[in-house]
Amino acid sequence: MNIRQLTCRCLPLLLTLLFQAVSVAAQNRPVCLQCHESQTGRGGAVVKPWQGSVHAENGIGCQNCHGGDPNDPVNAMDPSRGFLGVPGETAIPSFCGRCHVGIRDEYLQSAHGRALGRGGPTCVTCHGSHDVKRATLSIINEKNCARCHAYAPAAELKNAMVQTEKRIETIDERLKVYKGEGVDTEAREKALFSTRNRYHRLFHEVDTAKVTGESAQIDAELDKIQQDFGRINAERQKRKIIGAGAVSGAFLAALFFHLLRKTYD
Amino acid sequence: MSFLKRIYRWIDVRIGAGELVEKELTGYLLPRNINVWYSMGSILLVIFTIQVATGILLLVYYVPDADKAFHSITFIMNNVPFGWLIRLCHAVGSNMMVLILFCHMLSVLFMGSYKSPRELNWLSGFTLFLLVLALSLTGYLLPWSQLSFWATTVATNSVGAIPYVGGFLVEFLRGGKLVGPATLGRFFALHVVLIPSTIAAVIGAHLFFLQRTGVSTPPFGLDDSKNRWQGEGYRYESHPGGIPFFPNYVLQDMTSIAVYFAFFLGVIFFAPHVFFPADAFVPANPFQTPDHIKPEWYFLANYQTLKIFPSEFLGLAVQGAVTAFLALLPFIDRGAEKHPLKRPLFMVCAVGGILLYLALMIWGHYS
Amino acid sequence: MSQTSATTGDGQGDFKLAKERRAFLGACLGALLAAGAGAAAYPVFRYLAPRQKADNGQKVEIPEAELTAGNAKYFEYQGKAAVLIRKKNGDLVALSAVCTHLGCVVQWQKANEQFLCPCHGGLYTADGTVISGPPPKPLEKLSFVVANGKIIVG
Repeated sequence: MNIRQLTCRCLPLLLTLLFQAVSVAAQNRPVCLQCHESQTGRGGAVVKPWQGSVHAENGIGCQNCHGGDPNDPVNAMDPSRGFLGVPGETAIPSFCGRCHVGIRDEYLQSAHGRALGRGGPTCVTCHGSHDVKRATLSIINEKNCARCHAYAPAAELKNAMVQTEKRIETIDERLKVYKGEGVDTEAREKALFSTRNRYHRLFHEVDTAKVTGESAQIDAELDKIQQDFGRINAERQKRKIIGAGAVSGAFLAALFFHLLRKTYD
Repeated sequence: MSFLKRIYRWIDVRIGAGELVEKELTGYLLPRNINVWYSMGSILLVIFTIQVATGILLLVYYVPDADKAFHSITFIMNNVPFGWLIRLCHAVGSNMMVLILFCHMLSVLFMGSYKSPRELNWLSGFTLFLLVLALSLTGYLLPWSQLSFWATTVATNSVGAIPYVGGFLVEFLRGGKLVGPATLGRFFALHVVLIPSTIAAVIGAHLFFLQRTGVSTPPFGLDDSKNRWQGEGYRYESHPGGIPFFPNYVLQDMTSIAVYFAFFLGVIFFAPHVFFPADAFVPANPFQTPDHIKPEWYFLANYQTLKIFPSEFLGLAVQGAVTAFLALLPFIDRGAEKHPLKRPLFMVCAVGGILLYLALMIWGHYS
Repeated sequence: MSQTSATTGDGQGDFKLAKERRAFLGACLGALLAAGAGAAAYPVFRYLAPRQKADNGQKVEIPEAELTAGNAKYFEYQGKAAVLIRKKNGDLVALSAVCTHLGCVVQWQKANEQFLCPCHGGLYTADGTVISGPPPKPLEKLSFVVANGKIIVG
């Protein structure tokens, strides 16, 4: 109650509303944060990175990975409620792979996956854990790769991907702009997501020949989306031409009405 | 042509159409110094008609259900042939209606046309203005986008600052503690039936008052621009030797309407997104407040006023007082002079008020 | 255009000129307004006209022999990935293969007769019903007929 009063007294309308929105969200928020947010050590350090992650952005909370009961503060971390805690190193791929099924399979077959438990990288080695971001090619860099092996083969793989990846990013940006202008982008967004995922999955096999080989197929998928963009732009161009006609028609009518009025003066 | 004339004659001998035309059109004389600002009302009538027509067309595909509303609008904008045009006409038209209403009211203010005996014209007009704002506000929620949802949350929330009953009023307006499906239901009923039919009725009253009092004389180009009515008795302000409404002023009306159409269509075809920030195309999410929620341009000044006062109640009270002052202006400003340049106090208040309003609006936009 | 009101022209010539001008402007305006009315009516008509089904008539034929029990056959249908399966009990099912979550193509798990989405682990039954995972809706069913040893989808 007194937080509300404080808000009313100190902050203008907008902040009151924001606060209200947050308090609404709070009702649906896992109890995990109540404790972890105020912890100072390792336990508290996970909250901030998660809040900025792609998982938080898409509503994936603590319990979606770590299990447990997000509504019961007392038994939240009870194994009988499905709490998993922190996975051991070799369990990480299957931990993440509960959702990222395809990536897990490709990874396990790759040189990286086969070296699991023997110094090979797990998912979090490259992607991080709580602060996981939407994957981009920048993850393949000397700092990451050179921890275990020479960067050259990785760089080669990156080079093979860079062209298509750039296209995917350009299309993604374009889609965002169209969406903000009211174009129904849902189907195209899904098509792009699917293509991007297929491409990134492919990468986890760390096989340059395969990436190059399948790039043509991926490009064909992207071509389809870009042809759609072409259609949208052509339609817009058409509307502009019709619009120019309509506006000049209205001005012409105004001129005629004005001249006609003049004849009565 | 003779066939048309025969039809006209057939009607004329039955209902006396000629007499009506003589009285209300060709014999309806307007002041010789009448100007273009007198055609704003006609433009507004046209806009209202377009809003009703496009509104009915939108109803064909719109679904007033929180789960389906956003999708139905997306469908209209992307899949129905010319749905985008109908929707843009309606959405852009609503902004134009407010804009032209401002022009109409400002011209009435500066030409002193609200002065007695036209208090009822002003009052009914002011009521129309408030109704149009209510119409815009309720219509804003219907697409059920992030923008709709949060703008409505902000707008309804400000009512909460009223002492004692505020909390209850907010809940009553929303049909629940928060904006939700219940709010959509009541806003839909208000937007589609209650407010438009009330507006139509008040437009009727507004025109009736105009018809009874007669058109006011603009104060410009006259030696004596004083209001000569003393309240001695009912008097129709006639304009002997004036210009006929038909065809002269009707042609002026048509010219103004055509210019308006050019502007309106220009916005629709070349700048369709000026009234649509990106949040207008994201479905409403009650758990995620967008970064910058701003009300529509015509509510920005009100929004900023609420923010600058230390308490919301004070901000609301000031707005209420200003609204009441404007609504009752013809009872407060009782001077006989109508020419704005001969009314220094009025000019200072009016220009100062407009500048303040614009400043608050710009401040609200950038804050 | 009506000319009921008197004009203020000085002489006969002026009057005649005004009259001619009015007739010309009136004709222009009439044409313009008719065009405007047409331009307004056409979108309204198109808006209200019954929508044609997006039936491109593109049917996909698959020889029945290509599909043995327990297997799936992927193909493109109306520009999107689709899948035809023959369950172990012999039933045929045709579905859109596009996951309803984010649009990835679901994979047929022969062993347990399920569809698995490789992106986020969405799991569907062989009939497209969601078993677990993030998909909000079941997979879209496609209609098909079997005739002369061919399966015709569409």
